[in-house]
Amino acid sequence: MIDFLQMVVSGVAVGSSYALMGLAMVIIYKTSEIPNFVQGELALAAAFFAYMLMESQGLAYYLALPAAVVFALVLGCVLEFSILRRAKQPTILSMIVITIGLEMVLLGLVSWKFGADQKTLQFPISPYDSLVIGDIFIGTLEVITFGAALLLMALLFVFFRFTRTGLAMKATQQNPVSARLMGIRTHRILNLTWGMSAAVGSIAGLLIAPTIMHPFMMWDPMLKGFAAAVMGGMTSLPGAVLSAYLLGIIENLFGGYISIEFKSVVAFAIIVLVLCFKPSGLFARHYVKKV
Amino acid sequence: MRKRLISVLAILMLSFVPVSGVSAEEGVSDKEIHIGQWGPQTGPAAAWGSVARGTDAYFKMLNAQGGIHGRMLVHHMFDDAYNPAKTKAGVKELQEGTGMFAWVSGVGTSPGLAVRDYLMDRGIPWIGPSAGSLHWVSPPHKYLFAVYPLYYMEAKVLVRYAVKEMGLKKVAVAYLNDEYGKNGLRGAREALAEFGLETVVEVPVEIKDTDMKPHVMKLRKSEADMVLLWTSVGHAVRLVGTCKAMNFTPQFMSTSTCSDFPLMMHISKGLWAGTICATFGELPDSGNALLQKYKKEAYEAFAAQGERWGLFFYAGIIFAEPMVEALKRCGPDPTREKLVAELEGLRNFKGIGPHVSYKPFDPNDPMSRQGTRETFLVQCLEDGSAKKLTDWITAD
Repeated sequence: MIDFLQMVVSGVAVGSSYALMGLAMVIIYKTSEIPNFVQGELALAAAFFAYMLMESQGLAYYLALPAAVVFALVLGCVLEFSILRRAKQPTILSMIVITIGLEMVLLGLVSWKFGADQKTLQFPISPYDSLVIGDIFIGTLEVITFGAALLLMALLFVFFRFTRTGLAMKATQQNPVSARLMGIRTHRILNLTWGMSAAVGSIAGLLIAPTIMHPFMMWDPMLKGFAAAVMGGMTSLPGAVLSAYLLGIIENLFGGYISIEFKSVVAFAIIVLVLCFKPSGLFARHYVKKV
Repeated sequence: MRKRLISVLAILMLSFVPVSGVSAEEGVSDKEIHIGQWGPQTGPAAAWGSVARGTDAYFKMLNAQGGIHGRMLVHHMFDDAYNPAKTKAGVKELQEGTGMFAWVSGVGTSPGLAVRDYLMDRGIPWIGPSAGSLHWVSPPHKYLFAVYPLYYMEAKVLVRYAVKEMGLKKVAVAYLNDEYGKNGLRGAREALAEFGLETVVEVPVEIKDTDMKPHVMKLRKSEADMVLLWTSVGHAVRLVGTCKAMNFTPQFMSTSTCSDFPLMMHISKGLWAGTICATFGELPDSGNALLQKYKKEAYEAFAAQGERWGLFFYAGIIFAEPMVEALKRCGPDPTREKLVAELEGLRNFKGIGPHVSYKPFDPNDPMSRQGTRETFLVQCLEDGSAKKLTDWITAD
């Protein structure tokens, strides 16, 4: 029983970083219906920006970490304004391809600037400190990640449900032409969405980087975050978070009781099943567009 | 018409006249010898990227000293990101485009396996693969000369030390689920069998795994008193860190690929202290005269700014030393066959690594192409330096 509980707790812990990435993907999808594949590299750039501020400029972590979140926000806005907005008559497919291209460019820039050697980010809490509850262990940093994911989910939920800007974002996704006719400045809304999404993703990057930093560190969390977002229905913030936890728990239980070798791929098998039997995702409301 | 005929004949005749100074051997000209090498500068194994950069600095040092019999070594190094498909594409491009005389080092078992048959089928020498895989010598290949001690021998030496010297009998193995990891696992099993023991648990790690808790739960449940880590650098650090987070503190032992202690201490935030590793080269702070010469004349003179003087960097020198020695012995007109003959003639050659000896090619004798069986054990100290636990040990 202890083993089972430990696996569930560990699953929730690892699911928290997937949840943050999933949230970031859902924010953009809610507004533009684009799965944003540059999400991981935006977080990567923010983590390395914080590393640079601390290592080269000698900045304290309590200044460098917020500065990295602001950097991600600005970078997201700049990318949307300078590249995505310039696409001529964009289709969803072309926008996806642009995000993949941007991912490669950012990855290349980070590799070129910082090299491929593994590093770690200074952080006030060691990634290897843990809390013991009974016989169950949980990393202190994982508790923080868990809290951050839940807090951000709640804030974003309130933002989308109860603020004018949040409603404008939803309107922009559901019908951009009508939204524009209703006076919503959809370009500005999209720009803000990219900034917000990059900032949320950067928090995942900053919480992963204290363990090991290298240019490919965000690939796995990004893919798992995307998987969680798909499972949750792509537009549901609580759905993405709950799916991320579910994914983490299933991975751990599968690794513990069935096969540790196929632990990492079980997430994708689940997505296939979800898409086959409930294509709108586990938690999203299914919208039917009038034609 | 007659003039044109004469021109055509002249061109035809010229094409059969040997051009002065151009050697018939591929990759060798009057002034240059072209040597190829791959190594991950990006990707999951990038920590081992400094091997190729070490070889590069070594060749630059030799060139600054006049090259080998007046010929400059032209080093063609490319980044394969530890991706066998990229290794194969890069090797073919360089071999068929520029033409390499020989290949040196090359990090990784899987990338090396992707090009081994391509090089051997064409009779192109490949010296010092940066991996201790049995695949290089079992069966042996005429043109493939291994320098790196075999992983399974390293694993045997470590497990024997744990059982005999430290009295640790509950041995668990966490291994990368590929040829590299399985070589270590095989050595551990064989060494334990010598004492009538078995591993208490064997935990495979996939290259893309980042969450190590399920792995550590299995290790902890086994109550192992020694965990042998045969994984990538990143996985080894994550495993040790997760063990610490879960209050599981066995003796850790690991392969030479994780024996660059300053690096390991830096990325593990100090948790690597106490770990025992096999290694194949002089320690970075050793007073060995040749090592100090390389540090001054290769590293300090030619390494890029920010490059660290560590085992992985000068491993690139260790793997290339036998080839350079054989090239020197080839004399002024090197050919591939001469290079092979001179390598076969090396007996107890000593650079900054283990003693290296080869024999005339025998398809039934792996040791005709496995240059060394020597390794020694070191323990990581709190300040990142290494404590030598044994002298060079010859493994079987």
